[in-house]
Amino acid sequence: MALRIVIDVLIAIGAIFALAGTIGLLKMPDTFSRMQASTCISTMGVIGVALGALLYAIFIMNSASTAIKIAVIALLIITVNPIGAHTIAKGAYRAGIRPEKRMETDDYGRDLEDE
Amino acid sequence: MTDILIFSVAFACLAVINLYRLIKGPTGADRMVAGDAADALLCCAMILFSIFSGRGVYLDIAIISALLGIIDTMLVGRYLQGRRR
Amino acid sequence: MQKTRFPAVLSTFVLCFAFWILLTWSFEIQELAAGAVVSLAAALFAARFFIHEKSFRLVHPRRFFSLLAYVFVFLGELIKANLDMARRCFGGCRDINPGIVKVPVDLPDGYAQAMLANSITLTPGTITLDIAEEDGKSYYYIHWIDVSETDREKAGDAIKGRMEKWIGRIWK
Repeated sequence: MALRIVIDVLIAIGAIFALAGTIGLLKMPDTFSRMQASTCISTMGVIGVALGALLYAIFIMNSASTAIKIAVIALLIITVNPIGAHTIAKGAYRAGIRPEKRMETDDYGRDLEDE
Repeated sequence: MTDILIFSVAFACLAVINLYRLIKGPTGADRMVAGDAADALLCCAMILFSIFSGRGVYLDIAIISALLGIIDTMLVGRYLQGRRR
Repeated sequence: MQKTRFPAVLSTFVLCFAFWILLTWSFEIQELAAGAVVSLAAALFAARFFIHEKSFRLVHPRRFFSLLAYVFVFLGELIKANLDMARRCFGGCRDINPGIVKVPVDLPDGYAQAMLANSITLTPGTITLDIAEEDGKSYYYIHWIDVSETDREKAGDAIKGRMEKWIGRIWK
């Protein structure tokens, strides 16, 4: 029973961070800040859910293949997500997307103009 | 048992809420970020539904979905990088 | 284009085959043979993009254990940054001050730089946009959600934290 409570708490932590990321994605004022908020979902949300599901698969279902697949999915999402985030942030900046309110410090824009 | 089902449905609902940004988002990058986030959330929902129902098929679908999600994110990112003003 | 060397193919093959075993999780001879053929083909094509130089560098006790220790260091930073980001999101998304700062890195190796850039992107609140090289030193352009330091060195300390030291220890 204690194990079930631990599993529920882990999944609830993941759900709370996913909710925070969703709120940020809907309400943040500009494109780059929305990207920052969406990182919350794919790190802490996925880690919480995957840890909970991993404990469930190991101790309650007793199935090794399920546990390994869950771990592979979590590792895949976590290791591969920053590459996509980096590519799309650079692409957005290079395509001329700027926040409405001008950023105070913008070293990248200054160096791009020099080229 | 039902608590896991409830969490799974909650994650799917969060993914549906993210679709608002995907439909409305002013720029292409916004849409792509929202699609990526919805993809991760749907993977979570599928993991939870798989351990609820005890069927392994959903895990395979989640793996394929995660792999394809990163590929299309990178495609859109490279496309945006090439289009300079 | 660089020529594909044997150790690169071998290390990529080992990685692909381990991944195949993890995914199928059955040890019949037919499945293993099919996996070997598929991962050999994948390794032959992908080795030149994937692991090319010094393929078996991580097979070394000190590096391997510092990689394991780095996972926990990184988890600590991740949880701290996540709590901060969640506070901003629940607080109505008003409390932000976004900007792009340029931060110096002193890691010599390409893999180490890529790993640090990915770690920075993975912590919520910072995204690495680009890497530039100017007279021998490397710089990251980092989009930061709350610019509290505009000075490069101090901003670098605030963003990178303990991660840079540990990554330097792994790839030394």
